[in-house]
Amino acid sequence: MTALNLTAVVWGVTGALFFFGLAIVTLRRQLLAMLLGLELMLAAVNVSLVHHAGIFNDAEALAVVALVIAVAAAEAVVGLSLILRMRRGGRGADAALLTELQG
Amino acid sequence: MIVLAALVAGAVAVFFAGVMLLHRSLYVSAVSLLVVLLQTAVLFVLCGSPLVGLLQVMIYAGAVMVLVVVTIMAAGAEGGRFADFSFPKPLAWAGLLAAVAETALVLAHGTAPAAAVVDPALQARLGAVLFKPYALATEAVTLLMFLAALAIAPEKEAA
Repeated sequence: MTALNLTAVVWGVTGALFFFGLAIVTLRRQLLAMLLGLELMLAAVNVSLVHHAGIFNDAEALAVVALVIAVAAAEAVVGLSLILRMRRGGRGADAALLTELQG
Repeated sequence: MIVLAALVAGAVAVFFAGVMLLHRSLYVSAVSLLVVLLQTAVLFVLCGSPLVGLLQVMIYAGAVMVLVVVTIMAAGAEGGRFADFSFPKPLAWAGLLAAVAETALVLAHGTAPAAAVVDPALQARLGAVLFKPYALATEAVTLLMFLAALAIAPEKEAA
């Protein structure tokens, strides 16, 4: 019964966090805010994976969580680097202004 | 009590995720995400995975979010929309009260803070899984982090 209640809490939190992350990525126009929304979605998925690992004693799910955390860290570093470079180049940090690629 | 603590942690995480969506200031959004990540770390501990909770606090809430906040503050020195560094006091109090409530609920339980029955050997098996069947993925992620470090290296000035 306790595990069932915790499962309900975890699924509710995962769904709500993922929804808010998706809404931030689609509705906000600043690139940094969109990056934060992506991080929020990854964190939401991790919550359900950790709960899955606890219920089924699945070490592979924990391994996937560790890998997702590492990939998210690398993605944040690269994303922030790109955003800062665009701001320094005078192209702003608004997604609406980025309409073409330039080498 | 532990499930109640998980409920409080989840509710606070969802509330601050809503603040991230609705607040205009990027600084407030970043600090709110920091609160969300700390609350998810609490959920990890309550789900019986303290090791992953520790990783979450160290890597996500510690390294990545500090990097994001410092980047916003560095960009804010140039003015514009990035320059608002004030955080609403009611939100700060809400986060603090949630931390106190979760601690009280866990302490009231009196035993190890895990709501689910978890095999004690699960955490130990994580290392074995990462470096045996997932060794290639682990190496790939390590290489990716190395390349990410190269991405932030300063460019040489053109001659």
